[in-house]
Amino acid sequence: MSHVRSIFQTILAIVFAFLVAAIFVLLHHSSPLEVYGALYQYGLGSWFSFSNTLNAAFPLILTGLSASIAFMSGVVNLGQHGQFLWGALVCAVLGVYLRLPSWLAVPLLAIIGGLAGAAWAGLAAFFKRRYRMDEFISTLMLNFLAEYMTLYLATYPFLDPKAYVPATRLIRREYFMTSVFDVNVAFFVALFMVLLCWWFAWKTWRGYEARMMGYNKLFATVGGCDVENDTTLVLLFSGFLSGLAGALLILNGTQHRFTKGIGANFGWDGVMIAIMANNGVFQTLFYALFIGFLKNGAVGMEFETSVPSEFVMFLQSIIVLTLVGTRSGLASLTDWLTAKRELGKLVK
Amino acid sequence: MFSYHANVFNIAMEGMMLMGAYYAVYGAYRFGHWLYGMLFALLSGLVLAGIFSLFAIALKVDEFITGIGINMLALGWTTYSLRATFQVKGAFISQTIPPIPKVRLPVIEKIPFLGAVLSSHPFLVFVAVLAAFVCHLVLYRTRFGLRLRATGEEPAAVASVGLNIGRLKLWSAVLCGIFSALAGVYLSLGYVTLFSENMSNGRGWISLAIIILVRGRPVPILLMSFAFGLLENLGLLLQRYAVPPQFTAMLPYLATLFVLYSYARRLKIS
Repeated sequence: MSHVRSIFQTILAIVFAFLVAAIFVLLHHSSPLEVYGALYQYGLGSWFSFSNTLNAAFPLILTGLSASIAFMSGVVNLGQHGQFLWGALVCAVLGVYLRLPSWLAVPLLAIIGGLAGAAWAGLAAFFKRRYRMDEFISTLMLNFLAEYMTLYLATYPFLDPKAYVPATRLIRREYFMTSVFDVNVAFFVALFMVLLCWWFAWKTWRGYEARMMGYNKLFATVGGCDVENDTTLVLLFSGFLSGLAGALLILNGTQHRFTKGIGANFGWDGVMIAIMANNGVFQTLFYALFIGFLKNGAVGMEFETSVPSEFVMFLQSIIVLTLVGTRSGLASLTDWLTAKRELGKLVK
Repeated sequence: MFSYHANVFNIAMEGMMLMGAYYAVYGAYRFGHWLYGMLFALLSGLVLAGIFSLFAIALKVDEFITGIGINMLALGWTTYSLRATFQVKGAFISQTIPPIPKVRLPVIEKIPFLGAVLSSHPFLVFVAVLAAFVCHLVLYRTRFGLRLRATGEEPAAVASVGLNIGRLKLWSAVLCGIFSALAGVYLSLGYVTLFSENMSNGRGWISLAIIILVRGRPVPILLMSFAFGLLENLGLLLQRYAVPPQFTAMLPYLATLFVLYSYARRLKIS
């Protein structure tokens, strides 16, 4: 029953958001139908667009999962961006210098990238464990540190002298991941991680403890959950997912090297996706695909109409707000109605 | 030389500081005369505060989520507007953007070293310093301030006395919006006159960190903001000595971590 309600809410919110955004499109002297039509055509219209959407979505799925797993456990990991960057950089650098058969190297690079992300999150976990530093702030600050450190490494020691912008060298050609029917293999890896996360959250006892922590940390502690270790594990896992996203982007993206500004929005989009998905694993997948659709369609939208692709950023944020607003609003409304009814029964 | 961080008056609220960063960006949006710039910035601050209140107070969305949502809204909207209205990507620079006037303190100017440091700043810096003290007075010496603080600590108690929590929170949001917008004005019309994408670049987060660490007292906020400004400029200075710019840029964030660390240590000991 609640699933049906949440699906209904989602559709309502998305429709409403599109309507609100349509007002702005009209202000732009364009026709919303035309704009949304182009968005659809370039996002889902053909196999080419659809596969591009899937390829655009795989980092989002992973960063979204990273945020979801963290938030559902009550751990505020906002460091997806930094973890992503480290995963990407480590993979990009090793991809140049490592010499192994490709069947071994590619998964290894992906995993090491994930571990790099996990290590960066591990810093925050260490700070939390040892010094009780709130991970909200430490992961945030680590984001900036990661940005600058990776930029430094890409600009000085590992710079590609032939590149136009600060970037590392292209990774070895045989390490480029391939596609299956135009869909990147990385997408399937992301799907696999979705299943893994679901299994972790719902089928393992640590995942159970993590979820309990998310509901009520005090209750979980009193109930005997190993909150400290669970927090650390969740942070590491969350970091691993973001780092994996970074590594896969290098292996399977379009550029195959670490450039300045790579993965600029994936971290925050992941957070946004987790929020929209209310931290549910499969909902995360859905919203990640949806945002991927928006991003992919935006380029085409700009092509066909005169609306700049940045409009999609704005549209995304409206969707987030209307979604959480409707959800919360309806919830508090029903609460209020229920309370009123109960009070009426009492007073009578 | 100091740089200025949003001196946000929002102690009564647990999580609504997040807008600081993005008011800054939006605040720089319209220019003509700098006064118009400030006016529009303040308006935008009020609008965002209104949206925040709608979601966080009326619809009861979690404040943290609302904050992040509004940050994204601001980022998306400003990036889009930059493109749509000015037809540029990345940054908008123009010779015709008038900066806010600098104030020259006639007497202090004469003092050889201090003069150069203290004088001739955009007047907002002085406003900020003044605001910190005014905030302190309002928060701790007036009835309004007391109610605001109480709402932050124990909303149920405030409601039981008969005051409207929603309205108090609204005030808090509005004030937050105003200050953050002013911070934004300073960013884009102060020393440099331009607007670039995502200009605030995490400064709102830093001020959020400051607020949490200092537990919201206005005067320490001022002091710590100065300290961070100092560090940021120290970073710029170090660049001249062949330290790679990326490392120098990290200074403020490292400092935040360090402050967080020492604060947590103190908690542990006590």
